[in-house]
Amino acid sequence: MTSPLLTVSSLKTYFFTPRGLIKAIGGIDFSIAAGRTLALVGESGCGKSMTALSILRLVPEPGRIVDGKIVFSGEDLLRLPTTEMRRIRGNQIGMIFQEPMTSLNPVFTVKRQIGEVLELHRGLHGPEQEEEAAALLHQVGIPDPRNRLASYPHQLSGGMRQRVMIAMALAGHPQLLIADEPTTALDVTIQAQILELLSELRRSRGMAMLLISHDLGVVAETADAVAIMYAGLIMEAADVEILFNDPRHPYTRGLLACIPRLGEARQRLVPIPGQVTDSRENSDGCPFAPRCNEVMEQCRHHLPPLREVAPQHQVRCWKAL
Amino acid sequence: MNPLLSVQNLTKTFAAPQGPLGGKEQRFRAVDNISFDLAAGETLGLVGESGCGKSTTGRLILRLLDADSGAVFFHGEDLVPMGKKALRPRRRQMQMIFQDPFSSLNPRCKIGDIVAEPLLIHGLATPATARGLVTELLATVGLNSDILDRYPHEFSGGQRQRIGIARALAVKPELIIADEPVSALDLSIQAQVINLLDDIQQQFGLTYLFISHDLSVVEHLCTRVAVMYLGRIVEIAPALELYRAPFHPYTEALLQAVPRPIPGRQHKRILLQGEIPSPLAPPSGCHFHPRCLYARPMCRELSPALSEHDPGRFAACHFAGEFSRNRA
Ligand SMILES: Nc1ncnc2c1ncn2[C@@H]1O[C@H](COP(=O)(O)OP(=O)(O)OP(=O)(O)O)[C@@H](O)[C@H]1O
Ligand SMILES: Nc1ncnc2c1ncn2[C@@H]1O[C@H](COP(=O)(O)OP(=O)(O)OP(=O)(O)O)[C@@H](O)[C@H]1O
Ligand code: SF4
Ligand SMILES: [Mg+2]
Ligand SMILES: [Mg+2]
Repeated sequence: MTSPLLTVSSLKTYFFTPRGLIKAIGGIDFSIAAGRTLALVGESGCGKSMTALSILRLVPEPGRIVDGKIVFSGEDLLRLPTTEMRRIRGNQIGMIFQEPMTSLNPVFTVKRQIGEVLELHRGLHGPEQEEEAAALLHQVGIPDPRNRLASYPHQLSGGMRQRVMIAMALAGHPQLLIADEPTTALDVTIQAQILELLSELRRSRGMAMLLISHDLGVVAETADAVAIMYAGLIMEAADVEILFNDPRHPYTRGLLACIPRLGEARQRLVPIPGQVTDSRENSDGCPFAPRCNEVMEQCRHHLPPLREVAPQHQVRCWKAL
Repeated sequence: MNPLLSVQNLTKTFAAPQGPLGGKEQRFRAVDNISFDLAAGETLGLVGESGCGKSTTGRLILRLLDADSGAVFFHGEDLVPMGKKALRPRRRQMQMIFQDPFSSLNPRCKIGDIVAEPLLIHGLATPATARGLVTELLATVGLNSDILDRYPHEFSGGQRQRIGIARALAVKPELIIADEPVSALDLSIQAQVINLLDDIQQQFGLTYLFISHDLSVVEHLCTRVAVMYLGRIVEIAPALELYRAPFHPYTEALLQAVPRPIPGRQHKRILLQGEIPSPLAPPSGCHFHPRCLYARPMCRELSPALSEHDPGRFAACHFAGEFSRNRA
């Protein structure tokens, strides 16, 4: 077996706030092979974006990566000098975020913004740069790309802006694309177009993807493998079929049971009781214990390890062992 | 039987945002001549993509906005021409629940006062009796009375949404207009609030206008569904039938676009081409024709009326239902 493109091990990212320590990521492990898509799923605040930002080494203050390794193409990103890291970002690792308006600069044209990436990562200038920028816009399905180059972000619809973001992320020919809720702000018909575009690009370029989403439908249709996060930890990880058809963690089961499903007979939803609590600093037990319907005494005091219960299937739960 | 609510030919225009050069003011129709009825006790879902006019419709019904033309009959009385004073008792019977539970609660007020406020305004309680009623209301939505003296920022999104619901229930309304009430919530919390909305409907015999862009949630909660596109209603039908066999090509496309949580299900999907056109320059004829798979030349010329094709099934398409029947 070839070694994975990206391997994250024992990653811990903490926030040192005046009110105390927040373990945004409490030690996670996963890997992504070339050309594959891993989806990170979980509720608000569970650490999905911080995982993405940790890989890119863009964790905001007062946060810090305190431990772990992030090996990309054989190199530990956490040991690279900043200049080297800057070259990898946007070049070998592309990124797109949920709200394109915050990542696009409102005062520059599309041409200038894509142009910058092309100049920085591929040394393209002048007409050659413009040619390539138009080609990229064409690839992401923007009609009339030459004229669109002169647009400012506010002159584009949400779907168009997201396409421009994708074009910029692709400009450096990345091997890995990190997409943080790339379609959450979009309408369903536009979401369907963007997801189709992303899978098409992945196929044609053999690009791997780390997809962050809380939409189980998007995940089921897009990902090869899934990691379910809760309170800064991975609770269950498996290939997409296994995860949806044979979930072992009570949290995963709860998530799958609580969503209304299109076209299925109407029955009362089974919610997960309670809410996500910020108890991670003071509890040694399983963070899901306060909401878990299968909780045992030991769960409250000891954090279960993430263990393989079957090939390619890992679960962090005392019950599942 | 008379419907509880009857919306007739309701229209609202807004001024378009002005470019840097100013120029002549341009207006567009955010809500374009829409009509529908709502029977007591039912839940009508209002769906459609961003900007199609769902929230505006809700606000027009509650008279939070003034209509340009059209009528909103509530218990047989038209609210549109009513003055403030005449509206007040009717307002009590209609309440709104908003998407963002945070911005809809005054951050400087204690929870107890927030829920008590409508009771006091409408003279349904005195400061002395309010506390008991508020405690009861909070219990109804699954919250403990020990939160009475706390502030909104101390609560999670789901809890704040419960507080908003308790507040809406305080005045014993008949109609609740819920504008994306679960969209901002996490999945596990969404399910709690959906069940709560179900429970209080049974308990208090409520009628809902449920505004949402989430077609799965709408299917779960609604008895009938209205689909909007660029300010117009393009289809309205009983939920079961609409989801099983949509009559309008746009409804069909919307349903197919929803990603399903079933891996490996390579479901056949018709991808809509293009984007939603600007409401400033809506396409001629049928607004949907530039994106429609079934459009024929007449669609460009003639705007189809919303008409009844099967009992209770309305669609605004020259070929309503033909395509799905042909395929079946
Ligand atoms: N600037 C900050 N200061 C302190 N803590 C922070 C900060 N940013 C994030 N955190 C903490 O990190 C945790 C993880 O945040 P993250 O943004 O990764 O969540 P997420 O899973 O992406 O959620 P969402 O689905 O809402 O985007 C949060 O619960 C929060 O406690
Ligand atoms: N007060 C206002 N002034 C000017 N234009 C407005 C105003 N309120 C809404 N609009 C415009 O009217 C149209 C319909 O808006 P509305 O908020 O009703 O859409 P919606 O269907 O609720 O969308 P969303 O799903 O995004 O909430 C949009 O183009 C919007 O920009
Ligand atoms: S009227 Fe024509 S364009 Fe409009 S939805 Fe029907 S077939 Fe499509
Ligand atoms: Mg995030
Ligand atoms: Mg709205």
